[in-house]
Amino acid sequence: MSSDVVQSRAGVRVMWTYIGTGLAIFSLMLLAGILLRAAQAGWLPVDPGTFYSILSLHGVGMIVAMAISGLGTLWYLVRREMDLDERIAYLAYGFFIAGVITVIVSVVPGRYGSLWTMLYPLPFVGTYWPSWATGTWLIGNALVMLGFMLWCAQILGALLAKYGGVRGMLAIDYVFRNRAFTESGGKPPPPAMFAAAITAFDGFITGTVGLVIGTALLVHWMDPTVAINPLWAKNLTYLFGHSIANLTMYMAVAGVYVGLPLCTKRAYHTSPQLAVAWWATLLFVIIAYFHHLYMDFAQMQWMQFVGEIASYLAAIPVVVVTVYGGVMLVHRSGMRWSLGSMFLYGGMIGWVVGGIGAVLDATIPANVDLHNTLWVPAHFHTYLLEGVLLFTLGWVFVILEQRADAVSSLVMRWLVGLGMFGGGALFVFSFYIAGAAGIPRRYAVEPAPGPFWASVGTVGAIVFLIGFAICVFEGIRLARLGKSEATA
Amino acid sequence: MNRQSIAATMILLATVAFALAPLYRSAVDIPIPLHHVIHAVMMAGAALAGILFAGFLARERRSGAPWLVVSMFAPVFAMLLMWPSEYSYFERHPYGHIVEHLGLIFLGFVAGYGGQRYANGIGWASGIGIVAMAVLGVWGYGVEPTTVTAVAVASSASQALGAPNVTHGSALFAQNCAICHGVGGAGGEGPPLKNERVRKSLAAAERWIENPAPPMPKLYPGTLSAQDVADVASYIETLR
Repeated sequence: MSSDVVQSRAGVRVMWTYIGTGLAIFSLMLLAGILLRAAQAGWLPVDPGTFYSILSLHGVGMIVAMAISGLGTLWYLVRREMDLDERIAYLAYGFFIAGVITVIVSVVPGRYGSLWTMLYPLPFVGTYWPSWATGTWLIGNALVMLGFMLWCAQILGALLAKYGGVRGMLAIDYVFRNRAFTESGGKPPPPAMFAAAITAFDGFITGTVGLVIGTALLVHWMDPTVAINPLWAKNLTYLFGHSIANLTMYMAVAGVYVGLPLCTKRAYHTSPQLAVAWWATLLFVIIAYFHHLYMDFAQMQWMQFVGEIASYLAAIPVVVVTVYGGVMLVHRSGMRWSLGSMFLYGGMIGWVVGGIGAVLDATIPANVDLHNTLWVPAHFHTYLLEGVLLFTLGWVFVILEQRADAVSSLVMRWLVGLGMFGGGALFVFSFYIAGAAGIPRRYAVEPAPGPFWASVGTVGAIVFLIGFAICVFEGIRLARLGKSEATA
Repeated sequence: MNRQSIAATMILLATVAFALAPLYRSAVDIPIPLHHVIHAVMMAGAALAGILFAGFLARERRSGAPWLVVSMFAPVFAMLLMWPSEYSYFERHPYGHIVEHLGLIFLGFVAGYGGQRYANGIGWASGIGIVAMAVLGVWGYGVEPTTVTAVAVASSASQALGAPNVTHGSALFAQNCAICHGVGGAGGEGPPLKNERVRKSLAAAERWIENPAPPMPKLYPGTLSAQDVADVASYIETLR
C-alpha cells in the first residue's frame, strides 16, 4: 500500500472496521428503503404499522451507517497526524454496535414506529407497539450517542493537544495574523483536520443535547407523570437529529481533502477562506435546525429569522470553498477518471444539489409550501446518497486503487456510473417532483400523484441498487488484487 | 499544597456545604426550573474543582483512556439523578435529597477531573457539558408548557371539561380511594395525603391518577372519567 495513504496499522484496522460496518448497515437500509418506496407505489402490500416501523429503522439506520463510515475515515486521517489510542475507537465502536442491535430489537420484535425525530408525546401516546419497545429504542439511541461522544472527546483532546488549544486547532492566528504566523514558521492544520475539529466540537455539543432529551424521555417512560415541555422536546430533538445528520457530510468531506489530491497529484492547502468557512459551519450548524420549527408558532420569532440566516451560513461558505478548491484541483490536472475520483467528484455535485434543496427549504416563504412535503426527503436523500455515500466510496476506492495499482475498466465505470448516478438521480428526482406537487412526507399511503412518483422512485432505487452491487463486487476484486500485489 | 489546590479545595467545600441546603428547606418549596439551576451551580463548582485538582495532581500524567470513559459517562448518570424534584423519590426526604446532591457533586467532579486527566481541555468540555445539561433542563425537563402551548392546552381542556367539582370529588374519593388512603386522606394501607412534605401540583395529581404506579390501581379510563379525575384531584388539593 502506498505510504501516502497508510502509515499506521492501528489506523487502518480502525478505519476498515468502521467503514465495513457502516457500508454493511447501509446495504441493509437500502433494501428497507426500496421496500418503503415500493409500498408507497402500491407494488407491495405493507400495512401502515409495518411501514412506520421500517421507516423508523431506515431513518436511524442510514444516519448511523453514514456516521460510522465517516467517523472511521476521520479517525484514520487524524491518526496519521497524531497519536490516538486504538482502544477508545473500539470502545466507541462497541457502543455503536450495541446501540444498533438494541434499535433493531425495538423495531423488529417490538414494532416501534415513531421515527427517530419523533415529536413528543408521540412515542408514548396512541402507540400500536408495546411500551418496552419505546424504552428499548431510547436506550439504543443513547448507546449510539455515548459511542459518538467518546469518539468526539478523543479526537477533540488529540487536536487540542497537537495544535496547542482552540486557537491553533481553528487556525485563528493563521487567519488574523497571517504574516506573523507564517513568518514565524507556523503551519495551519491541514483541511481534513478542520473537518475533524468541527465534527468533534459540534458532535460533542450535539451528543450532550441528545443525551439530555434522551434521558428526559427515558425518565418519562419510567415515570409517565414526569412532565416534559413539548416545544422544548422538539427543539432538542431537532438540534440533535438535524445537526448529526449534517455532521455526517462534514465527516465524509475529509475524504475529498485527502482523496482528490491523491488522484490529481496536487496538494489541497488550507487557506484563510477555508478556515473561515469552517468557522461558519462550526458556529451555525447546531442552530440551523430552527428551520424545522418555522411552523411552530409558539417558538420565539427571533429564532425563526436566526434559523434562516444560520441555515445559509452553516452550509454555503464551506460548500463554495471546498467545491471551488476541489474543481480547481481537478482542472487541467490530467487526473485519471477511476471509480475513486468519479465518486469524489460526483459527491461534490450531490452535495451542491442537496444543499440547494436544503437552502430553499430553509427560506421562510418556500418552507411554508415545501417543508411538510417530499421535498425534505428529496434534499436529504440527495445529500446522503449522492453526497456522503459517494465521498465515502470515493475514499475507499482511492485506497483500493492505490493498493492494487489498478483502476476499473471503462465498462465497469459506465455500469457503476449509470447505476449509481443515473438510478440515484431518478430516485431523488421523483422525490423533488412529488414534493413540489405537495405530496406529504411520512405518509404510508400517499394521495395522487404520489404513487406514480413512488413508482418512478422505486425504479430509480432498484437501478441504484444494481449499480451499488456492481460497485461492491468491483471493490472486492480490487481488494483481492491489492492483497496479491502486496504478497508478490 | 499550592494556590491551585487550595482554591480547588475551597470550591469543593463550598459546593458540598451548598448541597446540605435541603436540611433547611424542603424541595417542594422550590420550583423545578430553579432546582435545575441549583443543580447546575453545584455541578459547575464540582467540575471546576475537578479541573483544578487534575491540573495540580496530574500535570504530567495524561492520556488515560479510562478517565475519558468515566468523564463521558458522568453526565448521563447526572441527568438520571436530576429526576425533576416534584416527582423524585430521593427528594421526598431531606437526607435522600442530600445524597442526591452529593451524587451530582461527585459526578460533576468526575466529569471535570476525568476529562482533564485524559487531555487538557476535555475537562472543560465535559464540565461545561454536564452544567449545560442541567441548565437545558430548566425549560422543559419536568416542566409544564408555560406559554402559548399552555394557553392552548388550557383552553381546549376548559372546552372539554367542566369546572372541577370538589364535592363530587370528595364522594368519588370516599368511594374509590379512602379504602387505602384513609377517610379524608388520613392514611391507611396507602400513604396519607394530608400534610405531605412533597405535594404534587393539580396537574401532576391528575396525571398520577390517570397513570399511577403499582400498587395504586389504574381507574382511568374506565371507573373514572376525565371529569372525575379532575374532581378527585381538586378534592385532594384541599387536603392540607
